[in-house]
Amino acid sequence: MTGLGDRLLGLGLMVLAVAYGWVAQQWPEPFGGAETVGPETFPTILAVVLVAGSIYLMVKPDPDAQWPLGRSAVELVVSLVVLVVYAMLLEPLGFVISTTLAVGTLSWRMGAPARNAFLTGLISAVVVFVLFNYGLALSLPAGILEVN
Amino acid sequence: METLGFLMEGFAVALTPYNLMFALFGAFVGTLIGCLPGLGPANGVAILFPLAFTLGLPPETAMILLTSVYAGAMYGGRISSILLNIPGDEPAMMTCLDGYPMAQKGRAADALAISAIASFAGGLIGTIGLIMLAPVLARFALSFGPAEYFALFLLAFATLGGITGKNPMKTVIAATLGIMISTVGIDISTGTRRYTFGVLELYEGIDFILAIVGLFAISELLFFVESRMGGGRKKMNVGKLTLTFKELVSTVPTQLRGGVLGFISGVLPGAGASLGSFISYTLEKSVIGKKGTFGEGDIRGVVAPEAGNNGASSGALVPMLTLGVPGSGTTAVLLAMLISLNITPGPLMFTQNADIVWGVIAALLIGNVLLLVLNIPLVGFFVRLLSVPPMYLLPIVTMVAFVGIYSISNSAFDLYFMVAFGVAGYFLRKLEIPVVPIILGLLLGPEMEKNLGHALVLSDGDWSILWESTLAKSFWLVAALSLVLPYVVGPVLRRRMNAAMKESPASD
Repeated sequence: MTGLGDRLLGLGLMVLAVAYGWVAQQWPEPFGGAETVGPETFPTILAVVLVAGSIYLMVKPDPDAQWPLGRSAVELVVSLVVLVVYAMLLEPLGFVISTTLAVGTLSWRMGAPARNAFLTGLISAVVVFVLFNYGLALSLPAGILEVN
Repeated sequence: METLGFLMEGFAVALTPYNLMFALFGAFVGTLIGCLPGLGPANGVAILFPLAFTLGLPPETAMILLTSVYAGAMYGGRISSILLNIPGDEPAMMTCLDGYPMAQKGRAADALAISAIASFAGGLIGTIGLIMLAPVLARFALSFGPAEYFALFLLAFATLGGITGKNPMKTVIAATLGIMISTVGIDISTGTRRYTFGVLELYEGIDFILAIVGLFAISELLFFVESRMGGGRKKMNVGKLTLTFKELVSTVPTQLRGGVLGFISGVLPGAGASLGSFISYTLEKSVIGKKGTFGEGDIRGVVAPEAGNNGASSGALVPMLTLGVPGSGTTAVLLAMLISLNITPGPLMFTQNADIVWGVIAALLIGNVLLLVLNIPLVGFFVRLLSVPPMYLLPIVTMVAFVGIYSISNSAFDLYFMVAFGVAGYFLRKLEIPVVPIILGLLLGPEMEKNLGHALVLSDGDWSILWESTLAKSFWLVAALSLVLPYVVGPVLRRRMNAAMKESPASD
């Protein structure tokens, strides 16, 4: 079936719109009595618009996009994992180490030789760290490199 | 003249050494961002936005920095168009048509120089237009009531896809999603907690900075990873400058026409810089007729689109500054900056924050001069940077985005949110749902709801107030038209733009 992507998206948006609209009807009436425009009015309008849009998508979908398969998909997942792990390790490991690892891995996966990639990571990490902590007086976490 | 007085005050703001330094830095970084393929002006402004915020810059300095980046990116887009036949950003597409053939003939240096001058002329004309038009429009906008504003916001969303847009329904969906995200948090008028699900971090709503950086910068990285174009391109030789003064003078009419046309299409909702450069190019082609060698490296074919897109970029600031309604991704990010600086954009800004408005306008004029000066001698430096492969550059850019977001709140929670927005942006862009309306929805959603509420309080609950006045009626009409027109004229216009690209022998 062509247009599967748009149809699925339409279905997802439909579920979202209905849930969004339904939640809006559950709020208690605000203190001081109901007004013409309560907290639920605007969300209700939005839900209706989105339901209309999602029906349109399901009825008249555009042709499918080219989705990445095989290696490209793996590379995408790897980059995502790197970003999440980077966010996770930023505070415990400290900025310099985690950045070296993150930038290095990303540019290595994008095709740079490993040594150059991690060297780029290290240099950029140190430059940004020094610039931020001493130049701009914004503190980035030093992590395990902290000297007390 | 009143305006002139304000402009002088603006210069007084923009010419302080502190602001001048940031303008220079912004112009430089902007050119850099513009010339790197894949990093457009919207991306550039988005990445620098959190930094401008965390540095605690005064509002006028922050705005000057971001507008300089914006102007610089418009200059930079042409470099890769001319040297590599790859537009650095979308509006620079038309510059490829004659710029690349010129470079192939060994006149790359001339093409770069003349296009810098054309960018300057376009930017100058656009800024002059902005100075003349903006105060008038702002005064006019003072008469708008809440119902007119509500209709105006609808108009802004409807025209955002532009008449060349593919599927207006997807713009509507994107805008709705953005507005929906903006309703998360405590309702300002009643205090009801909406869509917070008891999560404390959601009480204040979702910060649009996270959405902007995620949707633009992170999704761009993912696209790059997917296309696996990390290797970069070979270095180009620029050669010697052989441009004569006579040749320069011969392009002056082209520069004027391009700049004016660009400015007009920048101001009009739904047109934008890409259409501006396209119109300037085609008009120039029909004016010069057979006497020109368009598509084979005619110098006027480089001048027209460059003057056009730089004129348009200044023109696009008019609706953003006067009405608080941006017409493009980059101006949307500039609006976000204003909002987070606690400045209410719109007509009142011209009276309440005159120093910021006129400081920014004066900075645009100064920025244009700086850019011209930067671009002619430093072009070799930018060209060398073009040969740095993206596999080193993009990870660093991503890291800068992380640092910017982290330093705002010092919490890793925001980083996860940003990555999530990046993933969402990747999927949406894959499904051809544009991300700019999402951001605009996030920014304008609260204002829209507020105006809806005010209008209905004024009318005592009568919904017809929303389309009662003539002005509001015409806004609704234009909004409806711009959702219908793409189905009628869109395919024709798109075909012509594509045909123009294919006609050129350079697009091989």
